[in-house]
Amino acid sequence: MSEGPASPAFTRVLEAAHLPPGGKKVVQAGGACLLLCHANQRYYAIANTCSHNQKPLEDGRVMGSSIACPFHGARFDLATGKALNLPATRPVPVYAVRVVDGWIEVAV
Amino acid sequence: MEVEAKQDHKNRATAKGEARCPGAPSTQDIIAADKVGAPGWVRSEAYQFLGDADIPTDRYIDPEYARREIQTLWRHTWQFACREEHIPEVGDYYVYDLGPYSFIVTRVGADDIRAYYNACLHRGTKLRASGTAGNACEFKCSFHGWSWNVDGSHKGATCHWDFPHVDPARFTLPQARVERLGGFVFINMDPQAPTLAEYLGAEAKAHIDAWKLENRYTYLHVSKRLPCNWKLAIEAFMEAYHVIETHPQVAVSNGDANSQYDVYGEHVNRFISPLGVLSPHLYGKHTEEDILKQFTLGDSGALGGSQRTLKDGGTARQVMADMFRGMFEQATNTDLSGVSDSELLDCFSYTVFPNTFLFPGISLPMVYRFRPDPRDHRKCLYEVMFLRPVPLDGQRPQPAEPIHLRDEQSFSEAEGMDPGFGNILDQDTDNLVLQQEGIEASAKRTLTLGNYQEIRVRHFEQAVDKYVGEG
Ligand code: FES
Ligand SMILES: [Fe+2]
Repeated sequence: MSEGPASPAFTRVLEAAHLPPGGKKVVQAGGACLLLCHANQRYYAIANTCSHNQKPLEDGRVMGSSIACPFHGARFDLATGKALNLPATRPVPVYAVRVVDGWIEVAV
Repeated sequence: MEVEAKQDHKNRATAKGEARCPGAPSTQDIIAADKVGAPGWVRSEAYQFLGDADIPTDRYIDPEYARREIQTLWRHTWQFACREEHIPEVGDYYVYDLGPYSFIVTRVGADDIRAYYNACLHRGTKLRASGTAGNACEFKCSFHGWSWNVDGSHKGATCHWDFPHVDPARFTLPQARVERLGGFVFINMDPQAPTLAEYLGAEAKAHIDAWKLENRYTYLHVSKRLPCNWKLAIEAFMEAYHVIETHPQVAVSNGDANSQYDVYGEHVNRFISPLGVLSPHLYGKHTEEDILKQFTLGDSGALGGSQRTLKDGGTARQVMADMFRGMFEQATNTDLSGVSDSELLDCFSYTVFPNTFLFPGISLPMVYRFRPDPRDHRKCLYEVMFLRPVPLDGQRPQPAEPIHLRDEQSFSEAEGMDPGFGNILDQDTDNLVLQQEGIEASAKRTLTLGNYQEIRVRHFEQAVDKYVGEG
């Protein structure tokens, strides 16, 4: 499938069937460690590293469209990466996600 | 004999607190005429005359009084901290804040919920930020990394060699008491306080048990700061007396002046405000058709765009009840065949002192929570949650994330809020800023209350007096 030059480079990372509603999955793409989340009737891709203490977010609880770091409780907006409360103040990178032919693709 | 009985009746009719709206059926009369009859907790009355002295207004405007309240009232009362659905898994936590206090309410086991004072035992840092929730396998402090297990026991201190004086056994996180009822988690900071059951009293607790609110889930949660003392905000929702002036659009389908008021023990009171009937203030001015058209719902989203038509000879109240039963069943995938017309239609408003309102009805299925603003006694935090029955398939939806409105926003701006209901809340809020300022401006340093329709305000303030002391 060919993309126009302005489109970001999407990378196939996971079959969508492997990420049911409420699911989370760590994937590697473009040299980054990403956390895919299926919440709120959509998919999110966020860097799997808390901006506060560089710990992995993967065991965090997803509520609505945010994830809470299990270590110190910083929460991040899954859509924008924005830090929602202390002890984090800086955002976490987030990535565009799409589903093509039953596969989740991430723009890294 | 007969003369004596008549005389007796006359005395009772004129005794203080005995007068009722003349020329109108009572709430119990209205409910008794319904097709599907109501349960015992609906069909009972428990009004008491509690005096008619004025209420001094220092309590609403004096910052020193507000400081006393924190120490005397909030530290000794049972407060709704979160719903069990907010913390379904072990390690799930919800931070409940009250004034300067903050608690991590966490699930330690299937049947074990605890509330820790939210502060590190090293140098005091909050272990979790206020207003947050999440899941933890340990509570680790972000400052120097001391940590506690989910059960509150001390897990570790960084460089423990430097703290030979720290005995881990004595560094368990201090706890408030926790009790659960109807899916609500209540906490109390006072180790000597009565149990929640004693605090509520047998009758009120039996009502709450009957509702089975544990089988509901929060489908909408909206919070907003209100421009008044927390007690004024609470008291604005305790009577239907204000409906005709504040919410004229509602009065067409609300038995406001003939609503029923009851008190239970020291901490619970209620009203039943019948809907689908005309306000006694408007008798002769509207038809049954008008009543049907004007009916305002808290949960109209569940009804979709239903048509309201009056069959020949039918009452608006009966048409609404029949229609609600079918439509709420369908929209929420629940069985309401055993639910009375009254429970479907009417507004049941219960206060559990000091911070909770429970509305166990189906069309108005709210929970309100009120807390003082810790930085300003002239402001308070108000939350409204709507609770729907858990669907028949048993799949419990996740509780809604709170929508935090800014001070200047309308309640109807919250996504999912019924616009008619949002408008009602805006009308209430607009009065409150005027009331707060008026009390401060007034030459009269007291409030005067009606004996019947404002009994809940008096009952509530008597509980305030009990904890804070009169003043
Ligand atoms: S203040 Fe918590 S570890 Fe130092
Ligand atoms: Fe009102």
